[in-house]
Amino acid sequence: MSTVSVRYIVDDVEAAIAFYCRHLGFREEMHPDPAFAMLSRGDLRLVLVAPVPADHRGGGSRPMPDGRKQEPGGWNRFMIEVPDLAGEVESLRREGVRFRNDIVTGVGGRQVMIEDPSGNPVELFEPLRPEARLGR
Amino acid sequence: MPDPLDALRLPIVPVDPRPAFAEALLRRIAGQAEIDVRPAATVRYFVHDLDAAVAFYRRHLDFEEEVLARPSFAMLARGDLRLMLSVPGGPAGSHVLPDGTVPEPGGWNRISLPVTDLDARVEALRRGGVTFRAGVVAGVGVRLALLQDPSGNPIELFERSRRQDP
Repeated sequence: MSTVSVRYIVDDVEAAIAFYCRHLGFREEMHPDPAFAMLSRGDLRLVLVAPVPADHRGGGSRPMPDGRKQEPGGWNRFMIEVPDLAGEVESLRREGVRFRNDIVTGVGGRQVMIEDPSGNPVELFEPLRPEARLGR
Repeated sequence: MPDPLDALRLPIVPVDPRPAFAEALLRRIAGQAEIDVRPAATVRYFVHDLDAAVAFYRRHLDFEEEVLARPSFAMLARGDLRLMLSVPGGPAGSHVLPDGTVPEPGGWNRISLPVTDLDARVEALRRGGVTFRAGVVAGVGVRLALLQDPSGNPIELFERSRRQDP
């Protein structure tokens, strides 16, 4: 059951659904509006929204009161733990997925950053020691 | 050039975990606890000031501190959400891309935290000096507010509507 929600702004909800379901193992929970979809993967619920006008019924992607528009991108991201990062990277590259960097080895694990079709980052992480796993 | 010893530094970074987490960690290192942990949904945010960020999330949004590794990393938890706070750059050049690009806080993608008393929470947060990008707005089946941490990262609070919208 998904208990944690993350909202990503995307240019194209359909393309984002295809990306997350095809490459990263997400499941489509609902897609009731062209500007809104909800996906899930384990404990994570990923809400995908396209920017909408101020009078749109969807409340999560309207412009701010000062007129600023919400947009994709930035650096903050959710993380996905994978058991074999090198193998995962190889298959994602074959599938045409964009990368922001190559595999980086840090304290406790290796990580790499990919981008969804709108340019939002997702971090893939392989723990190198059991205590660095993304569990609780 | 990354220091190859970085991979071995976990035991000697200035880590200051809360006691319950430290005990669990030690049991796991000693092999006395099952490694088969339940996956937790994990999000990484970039912040400029680690201590200010940790204080903010603990004080205003009910996060618990699991690990504090000054000056550049902390791990917090709230329910099933694990939030990693990273200070970009730093002595080890953490998270700097090969072309020199340094990650920054901000953007619009965000964690979305459920609350049961949105109006009261927003009022209390405003009184506490928290910056909001947008006050309470109603969507389909939910009401939302969008606030910022001290580095300008967005955080969404949501409350399910008592009645389903028609």
